[in-house]
Amino acid sequence: MSKQQFTDYLNRPPFASAMTKMQSSPPPSPVEEQEPNPTPPAEAPGPEDPKKKLLDSITQLGQTNVPQLESNIYCMSIIGQVEGHIQLPPQNKTTKYEHLIPQLVAAEQNSKIEGVLVILNTVGGDVEAGLAIAEMVSSLSKPVVTLVLGGGHSIGVPIAVAGTYSFIAETATMTIHPIRLTGLVISVPQTFEYLDKMQDRVVSFIARHSKISEQQFRELMTRTGELTRDIGTNVIGADAVKYGLIDEVGGLGSALKKLNELMENARKGKDEVLQ
Amino acid sequence: MILHSVMPSETVFANMDLVEKQELKEVTFGHATMLVEQTGPFEGKIVRLISPDPQDYLKPHFAPGQTVQFQPEWNS
Repeated sequence: MSKQQFTDYLNRPPFASAMTKMQSSPPPSPVEEQEPNPTPPAEAPGPEDPKKKLLDSITQLGQTNVPQLESNIYCMSIIGQVEGHIQLPPQNKTTKYEHLIPQLVAAEQNSKIEGVLVILNTVGGDVEAGLAIAEMVSSLSKPVVTLVLGGGHSIGVPIAVAGTYSFIAETATMTIHPIRLTGLVISVPQTFEYLDKMQDRVVSFIARHSKISEQQFRELMTRTGELTRDIGTNVIGADAVKYGLIDEVGGLGSALKKLNELMENARKGKDEVLQ
Repeated sequence: MILHSVMPSETVFANMDLVEKQELKEVTFGHATMLVEQTGPFEGKIVRLISPDPQDYLKPHFAPGQTVQFQPEWNS
């Protein structure tokens, strides 16, 4: 593009609007929010013309003051496929691992956030990515409540049990089935051992973070006659609680109530340490 | 990569060729770099965000799938 062309671009209306959009896109920081002057400037018209006053404040600040909702809960949803090392084709709805991990870091670091609500409706995905998310969730110092809605299948299971407390909707299901290998198998014993180790990572994580025993989980995982395409079990709502995989059957209301309760306890604990 | 999912892998990996065809553009805004799939001359959809500030990931306008407007490229 030549210099002349570029100046033409600058003068064209779409670019001018794009520039202002780009500049106004970041939300005002909390400090800026408090800044708007409560008293109108001297040259502003009298209070009899509220419309003009509003217009003036728009031109002065360059934008209207949008009230921002401050929540002490951070809600994270894990939907579709958990995407890890390979970017999945566009027909998949994915939860991107590289976006979720910094979100968890930010939630842990942000002093305004006191609790995290994880909502799951996932069909599974990458083992490494799923386990990484589960580990991050379980190591957060803030209370985390997980809620399985619809489905929390395969690698969604360790994420669902990683929180401080877990809920499952009455109609939600979790499919427990073994990890499969597709692709090239170079040598059978080594591949078997590798896969077995992979499986162990998932199973031991679940056993450590929920009330289900490793034995019981393996029994569910290798059961035949329940799934059409695979071995394993489909646990629905109350069944997941019965096996000890999930803490309670409940919906959004009970999940938020529990999270508020846990946050209250965490606050109390902090106060005790300070005294 | 090992996929642990109830979706059959042939469904998940169908249209894999479309991923390779996707052309991504890097757009920087402040200290955040966005990988953007161009949808118009000055517009694109965020595919990925790379930022050293974790708080950027909490901002909804940086989330993947959001549209961003950017300046035209200068190459002369």
